[in-house]
Amino acid sequence: MKLSIPKYWRRRFDYYSVIIAECLDCGKKTYPRKHICPYCKSRNVRAITSAGIGEVIAYTISYFRVEGSEEHIPKIVALIKLDDGPILIGELVDLDLSELREGLRVEAVLRKIRTDDPGGLIYYGVKFRPLMK
Amino acid sequence: MVSNRVYISSSSMLKVSRYFTKSYKELALDVVTEIFRCVDGGLDSVDYVVVSNVFSDSILDQLDISTVLNQELGLVPKPSLRVETGESSGLSAVIHAYALIKSGLASSVLVLGVEKGSEFPTTVINKHITKFLDYEVESIYDFALVNEAALLMKLYMKKYNHRREDLSTWSIKMHENAIKNPYAQLRFSVSAEQVVNSQIISEPLRLLDAFPVGDGASALLLTSKEDLIQSDDPIEIIAGYQATSLPLNLRDDLLELPASKSLFYRALSECGLKLDDAVIEVHDSYSIFGYLAIESLGLVERGKAPEAIKDLNMVNLSGGLKARGHPIGATGVYQVSEVFKILTDGLGDLRRDATWGLIHSMSAIDNNSSVVVLKRCS
Ligand SMILES: [Zn+2]
Repeated sequence: MKLSIPKYWRRRFDYYSVIIAECLDCGKKTYPRKHICPYCKSRNVRAITSAGIGEVIAYTISYFRVEGSEEHIPKIVALIKLDDGPILIGELVDLDLSELREGLRVEAVLRKIRTDDPGGLIYYGVKFRPLMK
Repeated sequence: MVSNRVYISSSSMLKVSRYFTKSYKELALDVVTEIFRCVDGGLDSVDYVVVSNVFSDSILDQLDISTVLNQELGLVPKPSLRVETGESSGLSAVIHAYALIKSGLASSVLVLGVEKGSEFPTTVINKHITKFLDYEVESIYDFALVNEAALLMKLYMKKYNHRREDLSTWSIKMHENAIKNPYAQLRFSVSAEQVVNSQIISEPLRLLDAFPVGDGASALLLTSKEDLIQSDDPIEIIAGYQATSLPLNLRDDLLELPASKSLFYRALSECGLKLDDAVIEVHDSYSIFGYLAIESLGLVERGKAPEAIKDLNMVNLSGGLKARGHPIGATGVYQVSEVFKILTDGLGDLRRDATWGLIHSMSAIDNNSSVVVLKRCS
């Protein structure tokens, strides 16, 4: 077992949904959520579960080979502007390369992100797919 | 309180390369031996050792590496510590050493940057390189710095209406510069055609837009003692500035380097640095960062760097991270060592009479950044 279960488990809500923080003083939103607003330093922040819907600002098709996830190549990494939140970096899935374009509307979806040693746990997280009409 | 002046007594470095027959201890031994060969009584006068190394735990299976190096290099019982701020560790180490002398806690400090990038196959090193980003948020998804660099290339090309080939000028220039640097890893020229046709890493970013993986070691002896200064024309460290930034996704302007920009501004306004009388080294692990760095410095107008770099003959004379190489924790030490040599005895045949040296380093995309200002005292 290479991956720590508690390290992942305690952040499960942040891996299973898109949780952002809204600052009740300056109004700025951050992803991931933080206890302190990085812009005005206020602690008067609240966590909001984003609808997870947004738009691709830019994307890249990556062939960068990282140990343990070589079979997962190529993958599409994008800057996504959430409709109800800030920009985040996300992986695009379930799409044909011909659909890929800036401005593509996308939604968050639960997908496998890691597998531990054979027989070990499977870790899930949020990725993004083209918005279902 | 009068603070001490901090001078560079000497510098040394190895060619950045893949040293399969040498351990990090042997790389360190080579550069430290060279320092003390140049400075009589230098070893005895050192009262602090600052080591910069990033992957000691993940690649070398070693913690407290600065003690192990002291034991190896005959430096016991001098105090030592390791500095780690990701890719800017080397320059952070120089600034830490500068602060020790400036404050009077030490009078001579040995700065030693050493990294073994080629101990494992590329995919393993790549895994470690993703750790510069926030593990819980980015690295767990295997997002890598190179992906962010590629996204910035796209934004940059779109905003300033550049074609992909326009962004090959940085690599061409760096490779051209590296040919004159005997310590550079990639001493060959490349053409625009070669850059845009090289292997795709994360489109539109290709292999020749990226730093090469390599091993390296570089050392500096910093001192406030006049008898350790080698020349009548000494080089003084005037300032060392550091700042951090929010992660890329939370910035208002993705094509600006906010921390670096503030540090450059301080260097220009507080030190009186003149860019037309300076030798400049900026952090260009990926060529897009080189463009953004010289734009954040105000050396060229925003969006104009790809054209302007062709005629800039004081930027990254070493070849930069792109072509000198990027032995991660050692890189900032290399940058200072190189500029010192260029301003004094020469880096190979490369010499400049400039008054100022400006060295910039950052981790990931401006996450933790440093600027060091050198000045010729004459
Ligand atoms: Zn706020």
